[in-house]
Amino acid sequence: MRRWLPAALIMLSASAASGQDDLELFGYLESQLMGAEIKSTFYHVQTNKLRFDMKYSPSDHVTVVANYNDVTYHGKRQWNVPDFLSNQVKAGIADPMASFYVIPFEDQHILDNANLRLSFNSFDITVGKQQISLGSGYVWNPIDVFNVKDVLDPTYEQPGHNAARVDVHPWGSFNLTALYTPEDTWESSGKLVQIKGRIPRFDVSLLFIETLWRFHDYTRLDTLDYGFLELPERRRVIGANAEGELLSLGLYAEYGYNDMEFTEDFHEWAVGLNYTFDFQTYVMLEFYQNTFAKSDYHDYDINDWMRFLAMEQKTVSRDQLYALVQHPVTDFTEFGVSGIWSISDGSFALVPTLTWSLFENVDVTAYANVNFGEDGTAYSKLMGDGGLLRARVYF
Amino acid sequence: MKVVLIFMLILVSISPARAQELTGDDIIQKVNDILSPGSSHGTSKMTIITTSGKERTFVMESWSKNDGEKNLIRYSEPRRVKDQAVLMLNNADDIWMYFPRTQRVRKLATHAKKQKMQGSDFSYEDMGSGDAFITDFTAKRLDDGKAEGENCYCVELVKKKDSDMSYSRLIMWVIKENFYPIVIEYFDEDDSERRIKRLVQSDIRVIDEIPTAWKVVMTNEEDNSRTTMEVVDIEYNIDVDDHLFTERGMIR
Repeated sequence: MRRWLPAALIMLSASAASGQDDLELFGYLESQLMGAEIKSTFYHVQTNKLRFDMKYSPSDHVTVVANYNDVTYHGKRQWNVPDFLSNQVKAGIADPMASFYVIPFEDQHILDNANLRLSFNSFDITVGKQQISLGSGYVWNPIDVFNVKDVLDPTYEQPGHNAARVDVHPWGSFNLTALYTPEDTWESSGKLVQIKGRIPRFDVSLLFIETLWRFHDYTRLDTLDYGFLELPERRRVIGANAEGELLSLGLYAEYGYNDMEFTEDFHEWAVGLNYTFDFQTYVMLEFYQNTFAKSDYHDYDINDWMRFLAMEQKTVSRDQLYALVQHPVTDFTEFGVSGIWSISDGSFALVPTLTWSLFENVDVTAYANVNFGEDGTAYSKLMGDGGLLRARVYF
Repeated sequence: MKVVLIFMLILVSISPARAQELTGDDIIQKVNDILSPGSSHGTSKMTIITTSGKERTFVMESWSKNDGEKNLIRYSEPRRVKDQAVLMLNNADDIWMYFPRTQRVRKLATHAKKQKMQGSDFSYEDMGSGDAFITDFTAKRLDDGKAEGENCYCVELVKKKDSDMSYSRLIMWVIKENFYPIVIEYFDEDDSERRIKRLVQSDIRVIDEIPTAWKVVMTNEEDNSRTTMEVVDIEYNIDVDDHLFTERGMIR
């Protein structure tokens, strides 16, 4: 019963305000089948997702936004991580702990976003659960410490975060953003300050973030929580972002220097180019380096893999290159092929993608992923060739 | 009396001569003045009919300022693109797109202006290029004629060498009575003899003293597709806040 409470509250508030033109109710129903071939067996997991959105603007100065997600999984709901790993990495797993190395697909019934926005002449205040999107990178965002994108599906929406945010717009295109994501204490809470402006042909921003990075030691168990031991560590990021145009090419660059409390400091950066030809074909290239990750795949250990698969770190290998070619084959059908090359270990994944606007409010997305790396590399055959078929109906 | 008669004779003889003497530049300047009201706000419905006969309808709200130099378009229908927004500044030299599901704003490079807007036969360039008829083309008056049943001036616009517009030239038919461009023909960037698109404006009504086509049809002769834009409501020369034409304005 409790899981339906947020949805019921949204519905109730929606009903209460239903006589008003400034209330908007919308969302989508999504059904998805995802599969992969692991050790000659094709496993799949099916997902049903209902997203229900509410937006209410009683005046020009006030906006209330909320969405409730109900997601259920069927099929193979637990994937064993050792199935994807090389014998060398598996050798480092202690037998009694083997059952802990799983990726679970757990049903979700959550109030994903729920926030109140107050808009004034030169500033906005947003309080509550909200999306935080930082950086221009398509696949990797070095300055975004709040989200990790799925390299196979980088444009999928990200979850909301509890935060209080102030955006100040003193003049023109100049913006100042201050954001606070509350945790148990002031020290463990996230803080962000960002200055954004425009120079000819480029949008630029500088930012500072302090947050608590909750990554784990996947070789040790926490006897109290009966899970892997959490190693929270203060992380300070000084970053910059630029997005614009140079020599007729779309160009963006993102950099983050990570000052760590205990572990070694590291830096992440991404740079990307894009171009649209007259015949409507779009090409994009994005390079990403993360010095927290390792450059020799023989050194990858269970911690590297688990942190990557649990989306605690963005990549398992240090240098990656992403290439995308996309072409509208009809007015409502787009075909694309992306290639992801882990330069550090020489592995490669190919991802052909088709998106089709089947009817007015019905979209279909399909992609396959084929890996070409040696065992133990980022995109090894062991990771499983597979794909995804997704249908979404908007209402 | 004699003086008045001479003056009237001069007027009578001058009037048709002046119409004859209108150059291509003069006509395009008048067209540009009509198409670039100080500011505007309106709602329109865009219907796309594809090669295979499929139909898609979009409803969008739009704002413009500074004679069309700043434009903001926000979709309200269909639901899958609800609240997506496109901001075009500096006559569409700078374009940003906002995607509400991911709350991301992306800056598009100039080349992206050539992309079709939501799969329609209008490119971003067609929608937001402000005074491009003057800045990006050289006008030359051709023989007058009839288009869509109207007596028209005919003007050829040839792309300037330093322009990055996607068309080599345009042929524009302008109604003599009100200088409204009723037909525009678009020619391929690489083959100036190959017509690729044709725009017809109809149901012209005067709103706030500004002639406005209530219906605009763009036919893509290469793809055999058609997009119709119909005005639902529009108002001109209103007070539009500059804040609307910023990243903040895109995120409603």
